[in-house]
Amino acid sequence: MLGYQHRFDAKTKVVTELEVEHAVSSADDPGEVEVEQAYIEHQFTPTWAARAGLFLIPAGLLNENHEPTSFYGVERNFVETAIIPSTWREGGVQIVGSFDNGLTVQGGVTTSFDLTKWDATSTEGRESPLGAIHQEMALAKARDLAVFGAVNWRGVPGLLLGGSLFTGNATHGQATTQSRITLWDLHARWTPGRWDLSSVYSRGTISNTAALNATLVGNPTLIPKSFDGWYVQGAYKVWSHEDYALSPFVRWEQFNTARSYADLGPGLTPDASPYERVVTLGANFQITPQIVVKADYQRFRENKDLNRVNLGLGWSF
Amino acid sequence: MRVTLAASAFAVSAAAPASAFAVDYLSIEQAAKLMFPDAETFDVRDVTLDAAQLQQLDAQGVKARSAHWSVRVAKRGANTLGFVVFDDVIGKVELISYAVGIATDGNVKQIEILSYRESHGFEVRLPAWRRQFVGKGAGSAIKVGEDIANISGATLSCTHVTDGVRRIVAVVAAARRGGALA
Repeated sequence: MLGYQHRFDAKTKVVTELEVEHAVSSADDPGEVEVEQAYIEHQFTPTWAARAGLFLIPAGLLNENHEPTSFYGVERNFVETAIIPSTWREGGVQIVGSFDNGLTVQGGVTTSFDLTKWDATSTEGRESPLGAIHQEMALAKARDLAVFGAVNWRGVPGLLLGGSLFTGNATHGQATTQSRITLWDLHARWTPGRWDLSSVYSRGTISNTAALNATLVGNPTLIPKSFDGWYVQGAYKVWSHEDYALSPFVRWEQFNTARSYADLGPGLTPDASPYERVVTLGANFQITPQIVVKADYQRFRENKDLNRVNLGLGWSF
Repeated sequence: MRVTLAASAFAVSAAAPASAFAVDYLSIEQAAKLMFPDAETFDVRDVTLDAAQLQQLDAQGVKARSAHWSVRVAKRGANTLGFVVFDDVIGKVELISYAVGIATDGNVKQIEILSYRESHGFEVRLPAWRRQFVGKGAGSAIKVGEDIANISGATLSCTHVTDGVRRIVAVVAAARRGGALA
């Protein structure tokens, strides 16, 4: 990931991020090259600023702060990948208000998801319903736009309480029916002393899926009506010396990417998925505040084949 | 069971004119007056720490960053009310300008953020966060995750300002021990 910022003048700057995934990107390799952010920010007053371009949606705790040094575990948690499709970005405009009481409000109009991309023959929609149909500004359809809002309060040192809402139609006049996608979340993080405690709940819904699924019956992955998940996580810095710090953590999460399906009639309506429950036990070892070595063990209740040990090295500067 | 390995990296560079202030909240004079409203004058003293003082700071775990510091001595008549040091630290990629006011007992009286330029993390400006430093001295940890609470989403800004305050507290204490601010 490479980021570049340039300040044009006292009130205006451009922020960009370019990512190469899986080391190599070519026709024969699994990698991808992505522009994750490219927006102009202009400060109108000390309180109000506006951003326009491709930016990260303020949802959950991770999406806007996704550097490897800023989260516990090698992989990001499932709630903020399977339900909130991090790293989730849209093109549009937003206003940001930062108030002296610790409140930050964000709101804007952006591109939306594209349900016409849903591939019922693939399992991708089962892994992350919105991750399967996000547009990432790649020739993004914009007949249907979305609106979003987020409120975060940091008025007490160490405490963050917040929530977000994103809603918009997503068929762009290219399906038999209109369908609205709504995703919301509530999140909290508390970092008293050496503790780092956090929790996120997120829930998404897709409307009119009965009409959309009618033509997809027989395929393995129909469009869910609702999906949700939550986690609680606790970390504690057990040892530190100069810049070195060792922080074991434990995370419990449960999520369901197909919590319910719209009724298609007897024998045709898919069964809702069971909740997957994952416990992750691991540690972040900080070499410097910008370099982290991570190790964790993840145990799955439903799909035990996914039980794994992850080892990671991350840096950010 | 499987084992996965991951390496992830994130690098940001910034090109900003040195005079660029996204949001200026206070001037140096305003901040000094805010911290010591009873002061009649602020005498600017240039302090140069010698090698022994720098080594002493290093032994305390404080990187002085420079041997040369400018300290404003708040005075009312002949009485010294305290000291004010202005400094800049990098937040994530942009500079944060701040000031630390230190009382005559060597403890932090107040800190003020003069300018903040990052897109996120403006909350280091909030009075509740800055109040955590009040009363802390050379014997305090002054570390995020110890006696200073972090702000979620602004870890680098919090860490770097906190490290800066710890450095200034130690530098002023060393300068006073050396008689430079008498």
